Amino acid sequence: MSRSTLFRFLACALLFLSGCAVQQPQPADPLAALRTPAGTVVWQQEYEFVPPPAPWSLIQLDEDDYSVAFYHSCADRMPRVFPCESTMAYAEEPFGYSRVFEERQEEFFERFLWAARVNFEEPRLEKTTLFGKEALRAETVGHEPVLAQKVLVNVIFARRGERVVAFYFTQWRPEDRAFDRGHIDDFNQFAESFRFLGPSFYQRLTSD
Amino acid sequence: MEGHQRNLYLYDRFNARVAGVSRNDVQTLKFWAEDLGLTFPLFSNTVGHLGIFFGTLREGYPMFSRATVIIDKWGTIRYLKHGSPDYREILLQLKALHEEEKSR
Repeated sequence: MSRSTLFRFLACALLFLSGCAVQQPQPADPLAALRTPAGTVVWQQEYEFVPPPAPWSLIQLDEDDYSVAFYHSCADRMPRVFPCESTMAYAEEPFGYSRVFEERQEEFFERFLWAARVNFEEPRLEKTTLFGKEALRAETVGHEPVLAQKVLVNVIFARRGERVVAFYFTQWRPEDRAFDRGHIDDFNQFAESFRFLGPSFYQRLTSD
Repeated sequence: MEGHQRNLYLYDRFNARVAGVSRNDVQTLKFWAEDLGLTFPLFSNTVGHLGIFFGTLREGYPMFSRATVIIDKWGTIRYLKHGSPDYREILLQLKALHEEEKSR
C-alpha cells in the first residue's frame, strides 16, 4: 500500500469515526419563540395556553381559523398497533351553527370526522364550566366497521363572547385494543390553561 | 356555505340577507341544503345567466366558480370577490354598509 493510499484510507477512517461522534441534531422546538417565562405559549397574539408535555407535538395546520392542534403517536411504544395516535385541538369555528350547546353538539357530530366514515355512538353529555362560563362536554366513540378501527372523541363546547368555540380530543385504536384515557388528562389541562388575550373579531365587530 | 349559515344572526343585525346561486338543479340543491342544514335560499340557475353576468362561468367548465357579491338596498353592487368567501371581510363590508344605510 503506497503512502498516499494509506493516507486516504486513514482520512476516510477518521471521517467515518468523527461522524460517529457527532450527535444527532435535536428537533427544533416550534414553540420556542412563543414561550413565556411562565411556561405558557402565546399563539398568534390571540391565545395563551400551556402546551401539552412531550411527546405531544405541534401540528402545522393549513387553516386560517386560528386553530392550534397537537399530536401524540404511540408508534414507538406499540409499533405493530395501527392506528395508534391521539390529537387535541382548539377550534374557533367548530362544525355546526347553533349557539345553543346541545343543538351545536348534534350538528357537530353530523360533520366531524365525516371523511373517516365512522358511526358514532350516542354522545354522553356533561355540563361543565370553562372560562368561568357554562360549557358542555360531549364524549363518544366512533366505529369504522370496514377497517375495524375506533376513535374516542371528547369535545368541550365553550363560549367566546356569544359564539361557540370548541376543544377536540381524538384517539384512534384498532377495535380490539383499549383506549388510553390518560391522554384525556393532558387534554383537560390544555383546555383549562387556555386564555383569550383580548376580544375576538366577532366581539369587536359587534361591540359598537 | 357553512360559514354563512353560522353568521346568519350577524347578517340579520346588519340588515343583510344571504342567498346562494348554483347551476345545479332544484332537486340537487334541495338535497344539498338539507344535508348541510342550510336555512337560507339557494337559487338554481341552470342556464347560467348569472354566472356570465358576474364573470364566474369559465369557458368549457359547466359550473360556476366561487364568487361573493354584496348588493346594497338600492341595487348597486358594492363588493365582488372571486374565490372562497372571506367571511370576516364580508362582515366588515356589511357592517360598513349598514352604517351607511342608517346615515342616509
